[in-house]
Amino acid sequence: MSQRYRLVVRGELGARYASAFEGMTICAHDGITEITGAVIDAAHLHSLLERIASLGLVLNSLAAVAPGPPKPPASPPGRDPASRERTRATDIRRRSG
Amino acid sequence: MSSRTTERDSPGLRVIEPKLMPPRVHPGTLRRARLLEMLDGDGVTGFTVLSATVGYGKTTLARSWCTERPERVIWLTLDAADDDPVRLWTHLATGVERLGEGLGSAALSCLRVRGAPVETAVDELMNGLVAYGRAVTIVLDDLHALKSEASLRSIGHAIERLPANARLLASTRSDPAIGLPRLRARRALAEVRARELAFTVDEASELVAREGIPLSAESVELLLERTEGWPAGLYLAALWLRDLDDPDRGVRAFAGSARHVGDYLTDEVLAALAPETREFLLRTSVLGRFTPQLCDAVLGREDSAAVLAELARSNMFLVALDARGEWYRYHHLFGEVLQLGLGPEAAPELRRRAAAWCRSQDMVEDAIEYSAAARDAETVGELLVTHHLEFIQSGRMLQLLGWVRWLPFELLVEYPVLPTSAAAAAALLARPELEVQRLLAVAERARRERPRAWSPYLEAGVEVTHAQMIEHGDVGAAARHGRRAVAAARAGADALTVGALASLAQALFFAGELDESRRIAVQAVERPDAPEAVNGYLVSLGLLALVDAERERAESAEAWGRQAIGLARQRFQANWWVASMAHLGLALACAATGRLDEAEREAARGEQLRRSPQPTVGHAHALLILAQVRVARSRLARAAHDLQHAQRMIAEFPDPGRLPGTAAAVEHSLAAARAHVSHREVIEDPTPAELAVLRGLAAGLSRREIGEQLYISLNTVKSHTRELYRKLGATSQAEAVARAEALGLLDRSQSPG
Repeated sequence: MSQRYRLVVRGELGARYASAFEGMTICAHDGITEITGAVIDAAHLHSLLERIASLGLVLNSLAAVAPGPPKPPASPPGRDPASRERTRATDIRRRSG
Repeated sequence: MSSRTTERDSPGLRVIEPKLMPPRVHPGTLRRARLLEMLDGDGVTGFTVLSATVGYGKTTLARSWCTERPERVIWLTLDAADDDPVRLWTHLATGVERLGEGLGSAALSCLRVRGAPVETAVDELMNGLVAYGRAVTIVLDDLHALKSEASLRSIGHAIERLPANARLLASTRSDPAIGLPRLRARRALAEVRARELAFTVDEASELVAREGIPLSAESVELLLERTEGWPAGLYLAALWLRDLDDPDRGVRAFAGSARHVGDYLTDEVLAALAPETREFLLRTSVLGRFTPQLCDAVLGREDSAAVLAELARSNMFLVALDARGEWYRYHHLFGEVLQLGLGPEAAPELRRRAAAWCRSQDMVEDAIEYSAAARDAETVGELLVTHHLEFIQSGRMLQLLGWVRWLPFELLVEYPVLPTSAAAAAALLARPELEVQRLLAVAERARRERPRAWSPYLEAGVEVTHAQMIEHGDVGAAARHGRRAVAAARAGADALTVGALASLAQALFFAGELDESRRIAVQAVERPDAPEAVNGYLVSLGLLALVDAERERAESAEAWGRQAIGLARQRFQANWWVASMAHLGLALACAATGRLDEAEREAARGEQLRRSPQPTVGHAHALLILAQVRVARSRLARAAHDLQHAQRMIAEFPDPGRLPGTAAAVEHSLAAARAHVSHREVIEDPTPAELAVLRGLAAGLSRREIGEQLYISLNTVKSHTRELYRKLGATSQAEAVARAEALGLLDRSQSPG
């Protein structure tokens, strides 16, 4: 049973932080960085907070958010425009950790 | 579990020297007079905490402050493995021992008593500091690394016991759970936090000037604003700006960027380095503490010493731990950020190489840590099997337990000595029953699946652990396991015989087979190796004291009891449950010879040593002995309370052996005592004021204390007492109390517990 969280840290984080938060999506803009994704349980959440602290990041906010877009369908990518969109989103997630 | 080797033979795990090394202060570091004065403070507060997130210069400040003071410093850099308080305090005790020979030896001996409360060792350490006499500062760096309740509690205990000549300074990233609010309220805490640690504009200007960076005043302010005074940011900025042709422009660009400060500056600083240097930094970033030799081994080169020396000289993210250039580490933040640049396959390989090198150098703990970080369970398993005795000999039970729990099930079945020793450790540490049973179940599985790998040693170990589960209330099962333990020990695990005999004797005692219990206990204490298996020896001596007391051989019981207590004190085991039975036996012996005061004191001590969060057979039994002694002293209300407590526990035990019978006997004596007392008649009812005094007497307060509590004079208390005796037809205080209770004159709910 997991819950999606969005953690916002101060300052835009560059590409090197992509691997810092496994399984989460990183999105930097307007002087902040959003770290979003499914958090398994309290222990996982605390480990994310610890990671933020050990990397010298400043936590601006932390909030539980509504579930994200539905998972991509089983059909191979490129078959129709809609599934191509979703695949791209998955790629971005993978790239940024 | 004891082993054939004695403490003389096996020195156990080595102390990790780099943890005790205070980091060198880099010459480029700013001397922050403002903060140093703050630390000097009033010179009275014993405990100071530097609390701020990473990069605030806490370690640097602590180190600078220590360098400038004349007194000796004991420095300890903490890490996650110090969650085992024995590891933590072994290092501190080693530090104290280095202040002067013999100052830390008592503490070090205490710590090797497996399973004993670590607070005893802390007390001995404090004694050592008092004996040292001169001023000393203890620095705990990275206190946030401690998460276990056991370690944090021991630190809290130390703070309370700190002698006048010692100061404790801790740096941490988060406020530790050691009761800071309480210390604050008592003004027993000095704090330096982020707000104080942040650079001021003067300090920033000074730093920039020292590095020879020609920045305008506006640029300095801009820099300060952008970094918000974050020291790590400012030092990184200085590193970057000192090589720029136009630093003012650099600052403007930096200020105008929305990038995270550390990210931006790390990029700039790394970009200015030669590619080989960058590569070196990247690949060594997975190492915690390292020497040039370790770097050479991991990177396959021969010139790490020169690279490191140059890096240490030119900037501050490499910290030298000693003057000889042997040990280094990276600044925590820098190391973390660097590691992000390593691909997912590179890091495990580097760590494996590090583990192999540490293994070749006999650095057991580091080899295990690196292997675990590389997810190499096989190597962790091998190392634990090879070295598990050293963990046990060093008292590092919690640490061993942690590693074993980390290993996958299949590996534990393959190396049955691991779940077996872990189960014994868990039982000794009084871990929850479920945890012990789980480990025993794994051992059981190993015994079934690999019978040829199963030895009498493992068998005896497992059976003794099962027998120790008697505390959870199945006396019959404990006796069965005890017999098997003894059989296995006799078949081929001689060193475990004392422990096995003790566990059987204990089970037989609680089953009510006193003579058989005595016979077995005698076998244990008569063995020449008994003094080495100290836990089993003490339990056996205590049982002999109890049995002889019950068999009305008071003199013999007393002899056994005093021998046990003397031994316990000598071996620093006086403060935990193994000594409790000796006190209880002594209590019964004293009661039998009319020394009721002493009897109650001993029984109370025995009961106190048996207290635990879960109900246990040992505690229930201790409460019954205490109740019995109190009945003899006519402290009937307290006796009833103890009896009820014991009965509630006994009702939950699946097979409580003789306890229900003992409880019934105590209940019977209690009833008889009450009946005896209420036969005589009351002459006159006591007044409310007199009853108030009576309650005080029943609570065991002195007449003076009663006067203070009730705001009446001592003479008034005495005259009320005389009246009470007259009215209740009593000739002694005990009689008056008993009489009043029996008559229901004392409100039950106000009776002392």
